[in-house]
Amino acid sequence: MNNKRQNKRKVDTVALAFVAPALILYVLFIILPTVSSFYYSLTSWDGISPIVRFIGLANYREIFTSARFGNALKNTIILTVFISVFENAIALLLALAVDNVRFGKNVFRSVLYLPVLISGIVSGFIWKIMYNYNFGAINSFFRNIGADGLCQDWLGNTSLTLLMIGIVLVWKGAGYYMIIYLAGLQSVSTDVIEAAQIDGATARQRFYYITIPLISGTFTINFTLSLINGLKVFDQISVMTDGGPGFTTETIVYLLYKVGFNEGRQGFGTAVGVVLLFVIIILNTLQQKILRSREVQM
Amino acid sequence: MKAVKKPRLRDYLLFVVLLIIALIFLYPILFALQSALKSNGDILKDPIALPTTFYVQNFKDLFEQSDFLTAILHSVVLTVVSEVLIILIVPMAAYAIDRRKSRFMEFLYTFFLAGMMVPFHLYMFPLFKEMKVFHIFGTMAGPVVSYIAGSVAFGTLLYCSFLKTVPLEIEEAARIDGCTPFMTFWKVTFPLLGPCTGSMVILNGLGIWNDYLMPYLVLPSGKAKTITVEIASFVGQYTARWDIVFAGTIISIVPALIIFVSFQKYFVKGITAGGAKG
Repeated sequence: MNNKRQNKRKVDTVALAFVAPALILYVLFIILPTVSSFYYSLTSWDGISPIVRFIGLANYREIFTSARFGNALKNTIILTVFISVFENAIALLLALAVDNVRFGKNVFRSVLYLPVLISGIVSGFIWKIMYNYNFGAINSFFRNIGADGLCQDWLGNTSLTLLMIGIVLVWKGAGYYMIIYLAGLQSVSTDVIEAAQIDGATARQRFYYITIPLISGTFTINFTLSLINGLKVFDQISVMTDGGPGFTTETIVYLLYKVGFNEGRQGFGTAVGVVLLFVIIILNTLQQKILRSREVQM
Repeated sequence: MKAVKKPRLRDYLLFVVLLIIALIFLYPILFALQSALKSNGDILKDPIALPTTFYVQNFKDLFEQSDFLTAILHSVVLTVVSEVLIILIVPMAAYAIDRRKSRFMEFLYTFFLAGMMVPFHLYMFPLFKEMKVFHIFGTMAGPVVSYIAGSVAFGTLLYCSFLKTVPLEIEEAARIDGCTPFMTFWKVTFPLLGPCTGSMVILNGLGIWNDYLMPYLVLPSGKAKTITVEIASFVGQYTARWDIVFAGTIISIVPALIIFVSFQKYFVKGITAGGAKG
């Protein structure tokens, strides 16, 4: 008995030694700052001075009453929904096209994935120049084909700016989700499709009644992933508009950064981050719920 | 089994449509490449015209007018050092979690995966304060330890899902032959995890190579930081010299492209494994 217990303990020590480096770094540099951010969100910390003053829920009260946060929330919702809808629609269509194309399948898949490789900063810069009013590729193209009327100050026109950033993100992200959809499509067994074919189902019926239900799990995952990634957009906004013109492209994450670093209000910035974390947790829980209810159905 | 059908009209149609979409997707990258090979005057005169000569002055100016060489070095060191340490640390942890079916390890799996939900922006202010306490703020060690910590969540998911496909018999045989658990892992199991390690290094490495906020805020100011940070600072600094910035973007994109073309299958494996759990 004693021997056995000793043996078991020895095994656990080995396992513990295996996980120790990862566990220590993870706790030290992810969990500890995350947990302490709950504390800092209750302070008026400026990020530099050693004095951290506790102010209770004042930051949260400000978040839910300030017009600036309301504006950032609105921008975040518009941008995130735009990205998620178009990224998924385009990625799914591309996956279907690439799955069915007869020639150059692998080349298409690779080319459509290329934008994913580019950093947020670089993609933001390239598109910023393409959008430029006087010297940008888009307006030059319109001028060359004689459609001067279509020329726009793409990033200066406040009703367009946010969507223009959204387009960059859809362009950069669609290839990633396409790969996941492709894997989902390829997991649909050909047996099922052939059986339906024998039963006389048309191509359209096969698509609606077999392919769509079978990849709905992939859709749920992709939609959640793109929503969460949409909430975290930062680099493109930083290089393309810096939150402007005015506050028209200031999202929650960008607000968090600006109040934290430019305005020396890291306590308030951290409180904004805590709100963001709860939004992400809710989205994740919803995804798990939807996935689980589907499993029961099948 | 199925006879290869002759391509029909709609097959050609689909091909043409896809070709047009692919060209639209590719265009911004081509635009960056062609602009990098044109003088500033030519970019402003006709931005969509192709370069007429092979013009490399932009690249010369880039290295002469900025410390871009240091930036490249920093990007390479950050990416390589982080990935080497990640591969020394994360697979071992995932191995222990997957092979030891104890309550504690089950908890650890959930605990690690929860890290995927926490956005960097939430904890960055306290993280920097902590780095100052450890005296690693303003050094390369700051981003490196954060990258390792940040890779634990996705790495555990990826390796644990892959480890289920590695048979236990070989490990047992090694143990009977007198291998310590440590040796068994590194000599027997780890080599079988090659494709998984490939996916991990490539996807995670790309994230570090392209990262902006961490090196921008943590590395000491007044000197070149990383390629991405330099490009971002050029955009504000050289508002009139797009040619130089484009040269920098090409230097940022090309290594990622080369890695992608050489190791494509690892990209697909890693992305689908990540998507499988969400």
